[in-house]
Amino acid sequence: MSATVTDPKAESVADRIAAEVERAIQRNVKGLGYISAPAPSVGTTPKDIIYKRGTLNLYHYLPIADEVYRVPILIVMATSNRGYILDLAPGQSFIEFLLRSGYDVYLVDWTPPSAEEKSLRFEDYTLDFIPECVKRVKKDSGIKDLTLIGYCMGGVLSVLYVALHPKTQPKNLVCFTTPINFQSMELFAKWSDRRYFDVDRLVDTMGNVPSELIFTGFEMLRPASRIAGQLQLWEQMWNEEHVKSYRMFEKWSTDTLPIAGEYFRQTVKELIWENNLFKGDLKIGGRSANLANITAPMLSVVAEHDHIVPYAAAHPLIEQVSSTEKEEVVLKGGHISLVAGANAQKRLWPRLDAWLGARSV
Amino acid sequence: MADNTSKDPSATWRELISTWEKNVNSIANQTMASEEFSGASNQMMNATLKVQQAMGSAMATYLATLNLPSRADIIALGERLQAMETYLSRIALALEETRPVASGKRPATKIARRNRPPRTKRPPTLADQS
Repeated sequence: MSATVTDPKAESVADRIAAEVERAIQRNVKGLGYISAPAPSVGTTPKDIIYKRGTLNLYHYLPIADEVYRVPILIVMATSNRGYILDLAPGQSFIEFLLRSGYDVYLVDWTPPSAEEKSLRFEDYTLDFIPECVKRVKKDSGIKDLTLIGYCMGGVLSVLYVALHPKTQPKNLVCFTTPINFQSMELFAKWSDRRYFDVDRLVDTMGNVPSELIFTGFEMLRPASRIAGQLQLWEQMWNEEHVKSYRMFEKWSTDTLPIAGEYFRQTVKELIWENNLFKGDLKIGGRSANLANITAPMLSVVAEHDHIVPYAAAHPLIEQVSSTEKEEVVLKGGHISLVAGANAQKRLWPRLDAWLGARSV
Repeated sequence: MADNTSKDPSATWRELISTWEKNVNSIANQTMASEEFSGASNQMMNATLKVQQAMGSAMATYLATLNLPSRADIIALGERLQAMETYLSRIALALEETRPVASGKRPATKIARRNRPPRTKRPPTLADQS
């Protein structure tokens, strides 16, 4: 009688084959489920709408904590995308994290501008919409201070608002991936080269710039990424968490918003062609929107691998503001993974809480 | 010599995809950063816009001849409806705010300021000190 000798390598190969077979079965079973499943529900944290005017929506999230910080937060979302990226799903929501951490949270979110709203300009956003929302947050919360947080173009609108209202600085100003030097967004700058890109014809013909064009612009920055994501999805189809997360991000990234025509024209001419925000020459409604007018304590967060707003485009913000208390943080991640997903949960969110908590009393 | 049998096939697949993605993106970005690309793509867009403009005005004339509303007319109607809806919702909101809280008839999600949590929270380090 001979003793059974198990070859550890053979066992490991057998185990691996078994695991792969199991995954293949799961891929097929869950793949069918993926095709037939309804769209994931996002943005489910309870909220009240406290103000609405056309494309503008101001929400107040219902507090979760037993006590909150004195200073409320007003978040300004980017004008090209939906705000639910900040509130993807319970346990994966930046908004929910802020509420649990004891902040009182308001959000400025945008819906597609109507045909009539094609005439909206920076003046409307920075001298009307945001000031009105600030006023309403102060009234609703009963507190004269607030922290202003802006994401991407929401960050641009936030810094413009503060620069245009130097006498009423927010208690704190936080910007995520906010472009200042638009010539450093190289591909966008090249595609909109004034010798070839007829922005006047585009806006005059279309009115508002269609969401498909905005989506294509973002997609062209990384043309292979969608296909690669789908191939990775197939491989990870057995992994429910991965599939759930993929579907939420996929839904959001394809859910871009049209952009108000005049606002787009200004963005191209003033911010990209002339680079006036970076140069300090930007005037809105006849007033100087110089970043040096900003004196509020400031945190600027930049993503290390941001393919939309690279470091060189965002870095001038911290250099140009006059705030004595200012900090720039460069975190691992990309333009979107900086604010949402597993990367954000362990990097940005706790970092922001550590900076903001002490400044919110 | 590397032990290939210890490699997870899924990891190899992921690596392959990732390398392919990086390479394609890099080549595409180089191509799209060229002046030729910018010129050609914008020329194409301008041509499309010109056609759209011409079609739009021809169609508007045609619809007017048939005494039918154009897209612009429908949009204008939609705008007026939306303006009326906004106005109505403002009135509803204003009415809601004047309704006494004690009557318990306000929607459950609307929280009166007095029912909100106190603004007394301190950050952990400051709370520890006090």
